[in-house]
Amino acid sequence: MALLLKTHFKLAKTSIKENRTRSFLTCLGIAIGVASIILILSLMGSISNLIKNEAAEIGPDLIVVRPSSSKDSLTNVINELTSSNTYEQSSLSLKDVSAISAMDDIAAVAPIATSTNTINSEKNNFPSVPILGTTPDFNKIEPLTLRYGTFFTDNNKENGVVLGHTLSLALFNTINSTVGKTITIMGEKFMVVGVLEEVDKSINFDDIDFDNALVMDINSLDKINGSTQIQQINIKATNTESLATISDNIKTELKNSKSGDENFTVAYGDEITHPASSLFVIVSGMLALVAAISLIVGGIGVMNIMLVSVAERTHEIGIRKAVGASSRNILMQFLFEALILSVLGGFFGLVLGYILAFLISIITPFAPYISWEILALTFLTTLAVGIVFGIYPALKAASKDPIESLKHYR
Amino acid sequence: MSESNIIIELKGLTKRYGYGDTESFALKDFDLTIKRGEFIMIMGPSGCGKTTLLNIIGLLDRASRGEYILNGEDVAGISARRQAKLRAKKIGFIFQNFNLIEDLPIIENVALPMVYTGYSKTARLKNASSALKRFNLQEREYYLPYQLSGGQQQRVAIARAIVGNPEIILADEPTGNLDSRSSHTVMEELKAIHEEGNTIIMVTHNPALTTYATRVINMLDGQIDTDVKTVSDQNLPQPIDVKIKKRKIKPEVILGKIEPAKKRKRKSRRKK
Repeated sequence: MALLLKTHFKLAKTSIKENRTRSFLTCLGIAIGVASIILILSLMGSISNLIKNEAAEIGPDLIVVRPSSSKDSLTNVINELTSSNTYEQSSLSLKDVSAISAMDDIAAVAPIATSTNTINSEKNNFPSVPILGTTPDFNKIEPLTLRYGTFFTDNNKENGVVLGHTLSLALFNTINSTVGKTITIMGEKFMVVGVLEEVDKSINFDDIDFDNALVMDINSLDKINGSTQIQQINIKATNTESLATISDNIKTELKNSKSGDENFTVAYGDEITHPASSLFVIVSGMLALVAAISLIVGGIGVMNIMLVSVAERTHEIGIRKAVGASSRNILMQFLFEALILSVLGGFFGLVLGYILAFLISIITPFAPYISWEILALTFLTTLAVGIVFGIYPALKAASKDPIESLKHYR
Repeated sequence: MSESNIIIELKGLTKRYGYGDTESFALKDFDLTIKRGEFIMIMGPSGCGKTTLLNIIGLLDRASRGEYILNGEDVAGISARRQAKLRAKKIGFIFQNFNLIEDLPIIENVALPMVYTGYSKTARLKNASSALKRFNLQEREYYLPYQLSGGQQQRVAIARAIVGNPEIILADEPTGNLDSRSSHTVMEELKAIHEEGNTIIMVTHNPALTTYATRVINMLDGQIDTDVKTVSDQNLPQPIDVKIKKRKIKPEVILGKIEPAKKRKRKSRRKK
């Protein structure tokens, strides 16, 4: 049997070589499908890797509270998509923040609220600048490097703000003399107390692009906008061992303060690294689905070419059967050919996908992410495509009547 | 003559095509007993069922009704898979139009039956090589079929038919596409094979060839018209037991012979 498999493999190889152009084009169909899947998987992998690395940098003592426990429901995602403010219906409030601060074993608590406002400086004015409202504690949990000045403290939090690197450039055309300048947001005057170092990490577990953001106290933000929606509360625990207990305590505490409603999630460790928005998961899932469709198209290409091959080689099939090939032998011969085409295409697709991912990594922070799971998945997928789309032509070849086939000439 | 010398027994073999008004019989209650070592020529007008008979004996086709006993085994109702296995081991086919695979060098064409009987590649090529040598084609092992003349192609086909050492060789008008000189060569080869004790059943239209046969059967409308034995059963050649050693060949002995085929352009091949 093993001997026969080797023979089938050799036969398939010869046949593929004989029809080089045809085989190459067929492989290309599969390769494009696989390449797009690889590209998407690689990008998704690199995004969660970025978040994971960042969480690891921040430390193992981080607990995160996020609103809404029914995060994964589709309606919620659609709400996120359609509403102008992402967390309009946040279930977390400043009251929760102070409740958590009062608990034991808590070193620091920083709520995160975002909004977008127009900012006026002496020179320019900018609409839709993302503003992060938090507390001075934020800097204790997630130390931001400042290029100039300091983070705002309890003393100057009423009107002190910190600018992102790019934002500072945009507002004042400079970064080094920005500290001390005044900006106006919704009629309120604020003084710049610090400018952040360039981070270039648009993807992180806070979901904030610090380079373009303005950081201010959450109470001030509340005052400007009239209300704030807290999208996340970052908590630093005093010891790393009892994170589970502490997070349980937080859960109970919040539940009590909300009269039993558990419309929030408490995460620590690896759970934090799940992308902040399920929108991300859904979008990448849909992309993968579209890529899968192109793989199906590639599979149809394989089937098409195999049908042509079977028709062209009817006479050969007749001869083989006459000298003693069973239907199964013929089936295997043609199935092998389809499998090799498909797996070869998969291999090309793998290479192509990673080359594309690498090219993308040059202009974005996404490093190409390779794991054996992706390799195994590619191999199994192309194998499955080969079998699914190769079995019909192979069956057709196997079921040919030897006498009729022998009469068949090219 | 002992009972075991009977190789093929056909009893009441009927092959029907179509139903009702279109019903016709290629074979009708056909009875035939063939002994080991016979060289049978089957003659008759077109459509008398010669080829159908050959296809049924060669296990390529099935009878609608009747018994077919091959080597004491009833093979009329066996599975297609078993049929293929018997075909590979016990039957060698020779066709009018040679039926060689055009993409394969002739040595691989000759080795083809052994692919399906589980020989290693080296064993296959060695046997094919010695079979080709017998037909003086050893210098053309890696030619493609189109590069050979009709007579040479048919000799390749005969080499393919005998390479697996089958018990029966079936030839369907092997000289039908050949000129008289090539026909003569091919018939001499068949005669030589027969003299080694092989059973040959051959269909032909050419009455001149019957001199080679030990038995001539004339068919008419799916039945035997005349059946003449020109050689008595006692004088039939006795089989020589040629055993092929399975997979026991040292690769280095023959490696020199398995030089890869030179790449030849495909385009120039379509001559016919």
